[in-house]
Amino acid sequence: MGLLGFYFRKLITLIKGEVLVLPSRTIVGLFVLFLLIMPLITQDPYIIRIMIITSIFAILAASWDLLSGFTGQMNFGHALFFGVGAYASALLNLHAHIPPWGSVPLGAVVAILAGLIVGIPCLRIKHIYLALTTFAFPIILIGIINALPDYTGGDLGLSGLQRFTNSLVGGYYIHIITMLVLCFVMWKITDSNTGIIFHAIREDELAVKASGINTTRYKLLAFCLSGFFAGIAGGLYAHYMRIAGPSTLEVSMSFNVVIWAIFGGIATIYGPIAAVFILNPLLEFVRFWPEYRMLIFAVVVLLILLYMPEGLITWVREKIEIQCPRCKIRNVAIRKNCRVCTAELD
Amino acid sequence: MAVPLLEVEGLSKSFGGLKAVNDIRFRMKQKEVIGLIGPNGAGKTTLLRLFTSILKPDSGSIRFKGKELVGMKTWDVVNLGVSCTFQNMRPFRRLPIIANVMVSCLSPRSMKHGEWVKRVEAKAMDALEFAGISDMALEKASTLSQGDLKRLEVARAVATDPELLLLDEPFGGLSPAETDLMAKSIRRLHKGGRFGRLHSEGPAMIIVEHKLQQLMKIVDRIIVLNFGTMLAEGTPEEVVNNPEVIEAYLGGGGGE
Repeated sequence: MGLLGFYFRKLITLIKGEVLVLPSRTIVGLFVLFLLIMPLITQDPYIIRIMIITSIFAILAASWDLLSGFTGQMNFGHALFFGVGAYASALLNLHAHIPPWGSVPLGAVVAILAGLIVGIPCLRIKHIYLALTTFAFPIILIGIINALPDYTGGDLGLSGLQRFTNSLVGGYYIHIITMLVLCFVMWKITDSNTGIIFHAIREDELAVKASGINTTRYKLLAFCLSGFFAGIAGGLYAHYMRIAGPSTLEVSMSFNVVIWAIFGGIATIYGPIAAVFILNPLLEFVRFWPEYRMLIFAVVVLLILLYMPEGLITWVREKIEIQCPRCKIRNVAIRKNCRVCTAELD
Repeated sequence: MAVPLLEVEGLSKSFGGLKAVNDIRFRMKQKEVIGLIGPNGAGKTTLLRLFTSILKPDSGSIRFKGKELVGMKTWDVVNLGVSCTFQNMRPFRRLPIIANVMVSCLSPRSMKHGEWVKRVEAKAMDALEFAGISDMALEKASTLSQGDLKRLEVARAVATDPELLLLDEPFGGLSPAETDLMAKSIRRLHKGGRFGRLHSEGPAMIIVEHKLQQLMKIVDRIIVLNFGTMLAEGTPEEVVNNPEVIEAYLGGGGGE
């Protein structure tokens, strides 16, 4: 009992000292808590459904950020990984009768292969050429799918997939926890030494090469990691919707990902996730005025890009937090002195 | 005779019709410091870029400790122990200065050499300490001044623990005081030893520079390039008294 109390007090101290001191961390903590207790507040199937789809798209947006935000390999065909993940896990589920918890990771492995296939030709090209080349890949796959309707279902897609669980709340927790874990892993990757190399490749590839880093390997690694996470998102989506159709490969899917990421702030991981959780429910909310739906969406995105070019989340973070000029530790904006080195904040 | 550190034979590179580097051949001993001078457009930077495989030569061979460098990838060359700085500094502007150096510290060569240093940050910090910009380690690289960027370039190159260091205009755009500091750092590096957790064997160097006065104090030997060809070679005294060199630098026919 005493030991338990000790760890409890330690946890309280940790939360007080590390989480509550910064508003951004507090917000993230509250948000995670909210996601975990949401079924206690409401069990409305419509809201649960929106939350599940939003969390799947959050994984997708974060995986785009891992590739394009960090490594600077502008991928305008991110739907490819999503679609490959969806179709691969659908085929595995329908034909090999692998249950969802096996078919989704295997589908993600196939998406890694897709990442390699896209990544290798893309090693030689940059900027707008890279964007256009990646843009072409999902279109090619749509062509293949339409050419082989016996295996892929053509325009109709593959339907009748097994779900993870038929329980509403159970499904919610599976998707939310998968999302939280995967996003945490992605954030950890970008926070590691590998993340520094990804950053550096975006800034100046030649200088990275001259520092003795095998940039080819790291760029392919970025493609594969991004493909893996997007593939998981695709697999989850296919199993949740119980259908893997060509809509997962559409151009609008590729561009939605880019819009989410830039709206939230690229090269942050948390930015795109937050953007999905803001934009996707917003899009559902304005469904009450269907004729203005896309207009409102476009105006919101446009305003954000005009006034917060670094992204909404980055902008908000700059407003509520201030960096100590001396020790570079972040502080709440209302503080007069740095919480670590007591230097005066301006 | 021991294998020379660097052996260059018949090296040529042309951009379209312009022969930037034409039939260069020289040898370099261990720990030697060579100054590479010449008027603008003489092919000095091109030559350094050929050494690190950033550019591919049209013909010729570069052997580093008996190993052929032509056709190798840039990162393999760096991991063999040839490291270069850039004339127009290329920092990762949006990264903190320490992260700039950490990229070098994460290269296989650097990881292998300082195995007992567990933390990459510690090693990067020592490289910054050596270059003299450790006090700004957490600032963004975009906030650095010209002189400090040069120091960052040197820190980045030193962090890979090179055996041959190629410095492209280390004094370019520096004030006289900064030039003195940089020259001191270079001499200290060449002497070798421990800089915190960073170990230096005292690399051989090729220094491209226009500030001859400072350069003469550091180098053992000078190679003069003009229009891509080697005009002269020798000790600093020999070179400055060579009439061909004076003509290339100041223009010929004025005296008569």
